[in-house]
Amino acid sequence: MAEYDIKTDSAYAIRPDEAVDRLKGALLKDIQRSCYVYRVDCGGCNGCEIEIFAAITPIFDAERFGIKVVSSPRHADVLVYTGAVTRSMRVPALRAYHAAPEPKVCVAYGACGCSGGIFHDLYCVWGGADKILPIDLYIPGCPPTPPATIHGFAVALGLLNQKMKASYHLQQDDEHPQLLHPQLPLDLRIQVERAARRMAGYWHGRRIADVFLAMIKNGDPLKLSSTLQEYLAAQGDPRLSEIMHRLEEVYLAWLADH
Amino acid sequence: MLLTEEKPKIGQKYVDALRQQFGWSILEEAWQAPDQVTVTVELNSLPSVVETLYYQHGGWLSVVAGNDERPINGHFALYYVLSVEGNEQTPQHEREKCYLVVRSLIPPRQMEFPAVTPRVPAAIWYEREVRDMFGLQPIGLPDERRLVLPDDWPEGLYPLRKDSMDYRYRPEPTTEDETYEFIDVEGEGIVQVPLGPLHITSDEPGHFRLYVDGEYIVDADYRLFYVHRGMEKLAETRMTYDQVTFLADRICGICGYAHNVAYSTSIERALGIAVPERAQYIRTILLEVERLHSHLLNLGLACHFVGFDTGFMQFFRVREKAMKMAELLTGTRKTYGMNLIGGVRRDILKEERVQTLQWIQELRREVNELVAMLLDTPNIVQRTQDIGRLEPKVARDYSPVGPTLRGSGFARDIRVIHPYCAYDRVPWTLTYKDGCDVLARTLIRADEFFESLSVVERCLDTMPEGPVLTEGFRYKPYAYALGYVEAPRGEDIHWSMLGDNQKLYRWRCRASSYNNWPPLRYMLRGNTISDAPLIVASIDPCYSCTERVTVVDVRKKKAQVVPYKELERYCIEKKDSPIKG
Amino acid sequence: MLKLIREVLKVGQATLPYPFAPVELAPGFRGKPEYDPQQCIACAVCTIACPPNALTMHTDLEQGVRTWSLFYGRCIFCARCEEVCPTGAIRLGHDFELASFSREDLTVRAEFRLAACNLCGAYFASAKELEHVLALLDQAGLPPEDAADRKALLRACPECRRKTDLPRVKPLIQEAFNGRV
Repeated sequence: MAEYDIKTDSAYAIRPDEAVDRLKGALLKDIQRSCYVYRVDCGGCNGCEIEIFAAITPIFDAERFGIKVVSSPRHADVLVYTGAVTRSMRVPALRAYHAAPEPKVCVAYGACGCSGGIFHDLYCVWGGADKILPIDLYIPGCPPTPPATIHGFAVALGLLNQKMKASYHLQQDDEHPQLLHPQLPLDLRIQVERAARRMAGYWHGRRIADVFLAMIKNGDPLKLSSTLQEYLAAQGDPRLSEIMHRLEEVYLAWLADH
Repeated sequence: MLLTEEKPKIGQKYVDALRQQFGWSILEEAWQAPDQVTVTVELNSLPSVVETLYYQHGGWLSVVAGNDERPINGHFALYYVLSVEGNEQTPQHEREKCYLVVRSLIPPRQMEFPAVTPRVPAAIWYEREVRDMFGLQPIGLPDERRLVLPDDWPEGLYPLRKDSMDYRYRPEPTTEDETYEFIDVEGEGIVQVPLGPLHITSDEPGHFRLYVDGEYIVDADYRLFYVHRGMEKLAETRMTYDQVTFLADRICGICGYAHNVAYSTSIERALGIAVPERAQYIRTILLEVERLHSHLLNLGLACHFVGFDTGFMQFFRVREKAMKMAELLTGTRKTYGMNLIGGVRRDILKEERVQTLQWIQELRREVNELVAMLLDTPNIVQRTQDIGRLEPKVARDYSPVGPTLRGSGFARDIRVIHPYCAYDRVPWTLTYKDGCDVLARTLIRADEFFESLSVVERCLDTMPEGPVLTEGFRYKPYAYALGYVEAPRGEDIHWSMLGDNQKLYRWRCRASSYNNWPPLRYMLRGNTISDAPLIVASIDPCYSCTERVTVVDVRKKKAQVVPYKELERYCIEKKDSPIKG
Repeated sequence: MLKLIREVLKVGQATLPYPFAPVELAPGFRGKPEYDPQQCIACAVCTIACPPNALTMHTDLEQGVRTWSLFYGRCIFCARCEEVCPTGAIRLGHDFELASFSREDLTVRAEFRLAACNLCGAYFASAKELEHVLALLDQAGLPPEDAADRKALLRACPECRRKTDLPRVKPLIQEAFNGRV
């Protein structure tokens, strides 16, 4: 995709000064036990908002850790920005930022908050909270699940360590991609995999095709039918039987062609 | 679903009636599917044709799409989509039900069209949106304000015109202030109550202004579309038509899958793709799972707003079971990313089936107890009966959808009127009530929850064999059709037109709440401000709270800003009015 | 009220112990995309399929380098990459603990070399992709002479292929147009 010169990309961003950074460090050290969170929806789809809701209700109960959602940015230690920052929400989002007392921690929540997500380059969004504000922590996800939310807050407060690390791979001379099922003819593998995907979708389909192809590879082709029967009897799933028999038909048709 | 000569043309009699009444004004007609017909009419008779269909043939306005067809035929086009269901004089069994799309062309030198809103109020938001996005002037439209575009958007830049701008173009903000002009309510001493756009407990931004006389709401006005992101333009530019399913999910975080199905079916209809039976059952199951968690959310909020917070927490505890069900069936808690054009991406095998059936049993038992508990709470009926009345007359004029409409005595559900997926193959019962109030809408949601559980069970029991995905169809340039789904909040409808480059030429998606907001004004009138949050929540909008309410007191001529939290507290506790004194 | 208390007592503790114990996830849960650069052939299929452009690819024809990158901060976990990947180099795992202090830590990059055309020397395709395609030709079981012919053809860039093909296809075209060209 051609790079497009996006005007005003981060021209509006607020840059914190050093004193604020120092204070923030102190805050992170001091508030380990309890923090107040204010959510700023900058034009999200609601998915993130509902998942934050789920994170503070009984099953996940983030309030166990003293994480409490409050109703005004003036009470907040942590501001959680969701949504891709639409044009209409830029000013309200900044108002919320200025209303929260320093030091504060700003969290970009969800794919949209982190980077604009699927909306990242649209005309009516600014493409993520860090385009207008200094962001301290990113919680990716679309939306982040309640456990991911709890983990994110724990990382923000220094209770857990960040797991992610940037990685850079440089192609080496000894790098050779493995063929999938190299012992089987290519067209057979592809026909079986396609049929499996049509029958069961990419995820179940891949697993089922792998089992089936392994049966062809390892067993005697004449005994395939009985091996398959045995396997399916053990599984006891009529739908799986239907799919596997469909794959068997594909295989038999292939055999007939060769 | 391929349309051939022999296929029935449902809606022929309405087209004939139009021809009889309007003669030469009716230019041409074309069927996109057996029950979808597009009639091109002469521009000047557009309001009369829409009015005739709406009030004489039992039409409901589903969506209006503007389209810049200059590259195709040299004109702008307007598509007024009506679900025509037969008038009340026709016996029930003879009422033909179809989507009738009224299309009119506007020459580029004219740039204006006669507004339909004065004849059919339901068109108000749509015509404002067409003006924002295409710069087409609705002549006779009373409301001159922007609807969709932000206040800091430059004048005269119309995002959806094909020649206006790149989809990535971000003009400099023209203002740092909010310049939206709220309505002036005439009268002695009205107090304004602004609410928003940031809010506390949940969901999307929006800004409300209530006009009150003492404790009573005289009128209300609202500014929404704070979340306008420009996804319709995105679908026409960066994405290919088969990627848009993943975008459609993200229209709404709660009923995303409904949008996904609506979009997919619109393309499948346009291309004449026969979706495998099994995929249609799986879609039905997932749509109902989505309804489960959506309705539990709303029932939880109903508890919250009448001050029964334990109930709220209990509903959310139980709701997690529906979320687990979604995670098991789709791999995410949001039923996201499950459709491709031509089918679904995951099958349901034995483990998933058995587990889902077990969770359904548990949900049925637990929610039964919780609903009984909610209704036993002494103040629920007292707080919701006769509150936020949506009169059937207002409902008829504004085409609201879903439980909001069904609470006012209309047995109108897209799953019955225009069956899609497997809804015409599994038995289920439609719920509607004529209380017209918050209570009726809440009870409908409770009933629908249990019905959804049964639909999922029946689908799992009777799922047909066969593939879940079909491949190898052809992309047809400039084909267009409608897709529709009864989402938890009502009808979601998508009008999609393909281009000639593996992309969409135009995508118009309309979420259910879009039709439910305009009549909200009438539901708020005459109620006390302490009931406002409850009423707003009862249409289950894609959000239920906003930050603050401007209360405008008609008698004291005094405007006062009340923090929303305070209003919410007042709603819950019903004492110490924030606007006293 | 009593009913409510009874219900609450009956349910007992509903809260999950996470983060002190792992959460139970559905087997098909779509978590963090796990990338195996060894297996990646830099064919760009995933970057074309990716709806939010979390996956991007940059090709530098001057330097003969192609950089693949994945930004978790933009990922919507739809698994289209997994669905379309021809070598199984990217799969969605169960990890969801992605919170990170910097955008950089949410980025995975891999740099691959391009193959040069055996006729004109211009870079034209990922070297690993070319190697993979040649291996697939063997797996497809083509007769050796056909395979050698095709392999030679594949080592040339599309431009050179067109040029070398022209003398061969010219008579066919002339035939099709009855000698009018």
